[in-house]
Amino acid sequence: MKIPRALTTDEQIMEAVKNGELQQASVLFDRYNKRIFNFLRQMTSDSMLAEDLAQNVFLRLIKYRQSYREGNRFQSWIYQMARNVFSDHYQSSKNKTRSHIDVEKMSDRIFESEDNTDEREQLLHRSLAKLSEEQRELLVLTRFQHLKYEEVAAIMDTTVANIKVKVHRAIGKLREHYFELEKIN
Amino acid sequence: MEKEKLESLLIEYIDGKLNNTDQAIIEKELTNNESSAKLYAQLKEVMNLMEHLKAAAPTHSLKQNFEKALQGEISKSENKPENAWSTSTQTTSKKKQVFFQPWLLRVAAAVVLVMVGIVIGNWINTTRQNNQELAQLKEEMETNKKMMLAMLENQQSASQRVMGATVAYELSAPDDEIVNVLVKTMNEDPNTNVRLAALEALGKFYQQSHVRKALLTALSTQKDPMVQIALIRLLVEMKEKQVVNELQKITHDEKVMKAVKDEAHSGILKLS
Repeated sequence: MKIPRALTTDEQIMEAVKNGELQQASVLFDRYNKRIFNFLRQMTSDSMLAEDLAQNVFLRLIKYRQSYREGNRFQSWIYQMARNVFSDHYQSSKNKTRSHIDVEKMSDRIFESEDNTDEREQLLHRSLAKLSEEQRELLVLTRFQHLKYEEVAAIMDTTVANIKVKVHRAIGKLREHYFELEKIN
Repeated sequence: MEKEKLESLLIEYIDGKLNNTDQAIIEKELTNNESSAKLYAQLKEVMNLMEHLKAAAPTHSLKQNFEKALQGEISKSENKPENAWSTSTQTTSKKKQVFFQPWLLRVAAAVVLVMVGIVIGNWINTTRQNNQELAQLKEEMETNKKMMLAMLENQQSASQRVMGATVAYELSAPDDEIVNVLVKTMNEDPNTNVRLAALEALGKFYQQSHVRKALLTALSTQKDPMVQIALIRLLVEMKEKQVVNELQKITHDEKVMKAVKDEAHSGILKLS
């Protein structure tokens, strides 16, 4: 059932899924599950939650397969779904439980409890958690997931120049938080 | 240099994306300005850290749950292929056309079914009505017959018996029972008028073979001259050739009345 990556593009496979070859969705899952999970893990600072949300993203892929439009980049489409799943969760948990998410506390809890996390990495996670959601998202996509500015611009439906400026500002802000936290420590 | 601009150029420098001119400017700035060099070092550290963040792997249950959901969706779409139609907007017009013909056929089939239903219903209804009418008629005839037979067998009143015979005369096709009763009446009734009435009724049904046979037998056994004469007239009228022998016997019979013998003679003449 698995198709060699070099021979078939994500878009061709998604077309096949849309036209009823549902089994092909497995190939897309294999290609993207790790990336989507890590994107959500960085965004939520919670591995368990990230896995639940990643699950939702791939269920949406199956459920809303008919909404995929021919010619659109599959990567943009699935990241857009991931962003929607994340913000849906953020909205609902915000409404239900608390007025704001204490991201710093969350990152402390999650990343410090994991093994093999060195001090500087912990510091980076805490700094990331201090950024605005948009800045954190931009850095996760461009620096951690190594997406090109063009690809991020497509996902966020904006221009490349705009993304570039915002990413630069986010890096500057991250540097400030990082060395402030380092001083305290 | 403005801090934001410098920061941006430093980031691009670290990314290796600056052109030669900008690269030269930044390298000069870094050697001349200590705070810029510090900023560069800090940016590089943070960016390096981000580049080399370890990616985590999801647990195996993510894959398992996905495959389970996928199989569920596959069997769902196999069981309900029409679902694929309704969710697909692009193929709707094509599907509609395909769907149109069976739709028309269904309506046509429904109309035909209704019509067939009406026809069958009517047929059953009329058959039942006919059956009912027939049963009613039969019942009526049965009562008439019983009444008639009762009249014929009424020993008290001769006129009733005559009327019974007259009623029998009105029948278009009497059954064996009536014929037998009439024959018996003709042969044995004590009253001449009743016997004549019975004979008259039988004469009407002479085309039936058993009636004819009964009449022929009666000719040889009948002793009442009035009935004998009527019987001879009737048989001659029927052009019954077999009767000639019997008539000749009558002409030679001394016990028979002269009027009867004359009638037999004229009968023989007519038939021969």
